[in-house]
Amino acid sequence: MKNPLALIGSLLAQAALWIAAFISVFPFYWMIVGATNTANDITSGKASFGTHLVENTTKFFTTIDAPRVFGNSFLVSILGTILTLAVTSLAGYGFEIFRSRTRDQIFAGLLLLLSIPFAALIVPLFMMFSRAGLMNTYAGIMLPGIAAIFMIFYFRQNTKSFPHELRDAALLDGLKEWQIFLYIYIPVMRSTYAAAMIIVFMTSWNAYLWPLMVVQTNEMKTITLQLASLASAYTPDYGLIMIANVLATLPTVLVFFLLQRRFVEGMLGSVK
Amino acid sequence: MSGLTLKGLRKAYGAAQVIKGVDLEILPEEFVVFVGPSGCGKSTLLRMIAGLESISGGDLFIGGRRVNDVDASQRGIAMVFQSYALYPHMTVRENMGFALKFAGASKTEITAKVDAAAAILGLGALMDRKPRDLSGGQRQRVAIGRAIVREPQVFLFDEPLSNLDAELRVHMRIEIARLHQDLKATIIYVTHDQIEAMTLADKIVVLREGRVEQTGSPLKLYDDPDNIFVAGFIGSPKMNFLSARVQGGRLVLPELADQSLPLPALQQALPEGAQVTLGLRPDVFKRGGSASLSLTIEIVEQLGGETFAYARVGGSAQIMTIAVEDGRALRPGQALVASFDPARALLFDTDGQRLR
Ligand SMILES: Nc1ncnc2c1ncn2[C@@H]1O[C@H](COP(=O)(O)OP(=O)(O)OP(=O)(O)O)[C@@H](O)[C@H]1O
Ligand SMILES: [Mg+2]
Repeated sequence: MKNPLALIGSLLAQAALWIAAFISVFPFYWMIVGATNTANDITSGKASFGTHLVENTTKFFTTIDAPRVFGNSFLVSILGTILTLAVTSLAGYGFEIFRSRTRDQIFAGLLLLLSIPFAALIVPLFMMFSRAGLMNTYAGIMLPGIAAIFMIFYFRQNTKSFPHELRDAALLDGLKEWQIFLYIYIPVMRSTYAAAMIIVFMTSWNAYLWPLMVVQTNEMKTITLQLASLASAYTPDYGLIMIANVLATLPTVLVFFLLQRRFVEGMLGSVK
Repeated sequence: MSGLTLKGLRKAYGAAQVIKGVDLEILPEEFVVFVGPSGCGKSTLLRMIAGLESISGGDLFIGGRRVNDVDASQRGIAMVFQSYALYPHMTVRENMGFALKFAGASKTEITAKVDAAAAILGLGALMDRKPRDLSGGQRQRVAIGRAIVREPQVFLFDEPLSNLDAELRVHMRIEIARLHQDLKATIIYVTHDQIEAMTLADKIVVLREGRVEQTGSPLKLYDDPDNIFVAGFIGSPKMNFLSARVQGGRLVLPELADQSLPLPALQQALPEGAQVTLGLRPDVFKRGGSASLSLTIEIVEQLGGETFAYARVGGSAQIMTIAVEDGRALRPGQALVASFDPARALLFDTDGQRLR
């Protein structure tokens, strides 16, 4: 028999874990339950499934131009993700593979920029973009996120596990630098890309602050902006908000489950 | 098959000189092995020949054509890497055919050449596997196959067998020797392994700190080294070096309690009192001869086929390695009279240059 102190310790640990699990899971549960209840049920604190799912859903699709906002979100997220991956992986690869005297200084400078909060950049960015005529455009929404420094750092770190001799072999096989990148590096590093894809897609799908600055008309609204305007209505309809939240969460959940296995491999940095 | 000519080849990384002027003539169909201590520039020199490192100075000719500024893929060379460097996302067949595909060869041509190379190396059953599903030896064979398919003028190998276990290494060594005969290819091969160097090479190039110390056939370097460095580097176990002094027409060995030996015949007589280094390979003691040293055995190594005795005189720090013909009865502590033919002793001056 174990000693009683150890037993109490393990019980306490279990309890702490249960509380942590509850805290992280409950909002999801609340959101899903809320989607099946009316606004009144929700404000009165009802935490069990109701019968208003169809009603809420119908309301969502009639009051909101769903194809438009989802279309906007998908467009900026998918295109933004592709561009971000292309730019940051090229940069990370270049930083790691090619030697130059100033390489490490430049890279250190980039990392330093990482410490500037985005909020501090908003005003200058806003002025830049309005002068460049990019306000209220898709390009305007996507551009600031594309050269994500953290992603460059991530790709450089992962490129350390890319064998240089593969590049040598490819040079001897007659490939040009861009072909090595396209035909050797990308396929070999696909787990790294998958993990990056999830992170970048989620970031741009959930982006709020910058789109709020750039987007000026209802036609350009993304789903996050739409959620915010639902919540700030004079009398917020919580049933509608909850179903909108559920629908807005689905794409990221889907992306994650599709790429889950590769995500884990990529975060572990394996080249196999 | 092409030969190569290296003229005053240099490589610098910034201020660091890595290759300091290498002159070398490599004949068509020759098997040349680069050896030298770690960091001496073997890989760098090989990669310069391959076109993977730029050339800082001098000229490189392959088959009479100056290729300093020719792309790696256009030099008519193929390289086999220590880590194999197979493309992990491609099958064996795709790996082997990749260069041809990029050169725009037709499907039938690629298939024919890949199958021919696979047959030479016995890869037939593995063609549709990915590299991760192969053993080390199989991967190495695929890497060699990939080189063969390109039908290069020159094959470059950078320590190709050092990741394999001992048994496989012997096997692949023989296979590479056979390939050299079959393909009649020019091969440049970098290795740390004495036996690979001695058995495979037509010509060994000994490098040290970016310079060529000596080139020659394995036996030439073994029997007739130009300097102490080459003498010590070639041969295993290592040559014994003893400091010696010329006195009264004999060589006196202070490290062996002033025992003395007859002076080996030299073209130029040494002056009385000259300081030299005497080099004696462990195996000169196998056959006996008119000169002899009296030693005490410290350690005995029995390898079954042969015996090595490590012996010294009194408290001297100098331990001699002695190969003994029939040494199964030897025990530590015994006295050993090691005799040899004085004509097989080598002498070096105080700068390490050979005295002939
Ligand atoms: N990119 C580089 N920048 C600076 N120095 C380098 C670079 N590559 C190699 N060197 C240096 O050049 C020297 C020769 O390296 P090289 O790899 O050719 O040695 P090696 O003879 O192949 O050694 P080993 O037997 O360990 O493989 C080493 O001192 C190494 O530190
Ligand atoms: Mg090397």
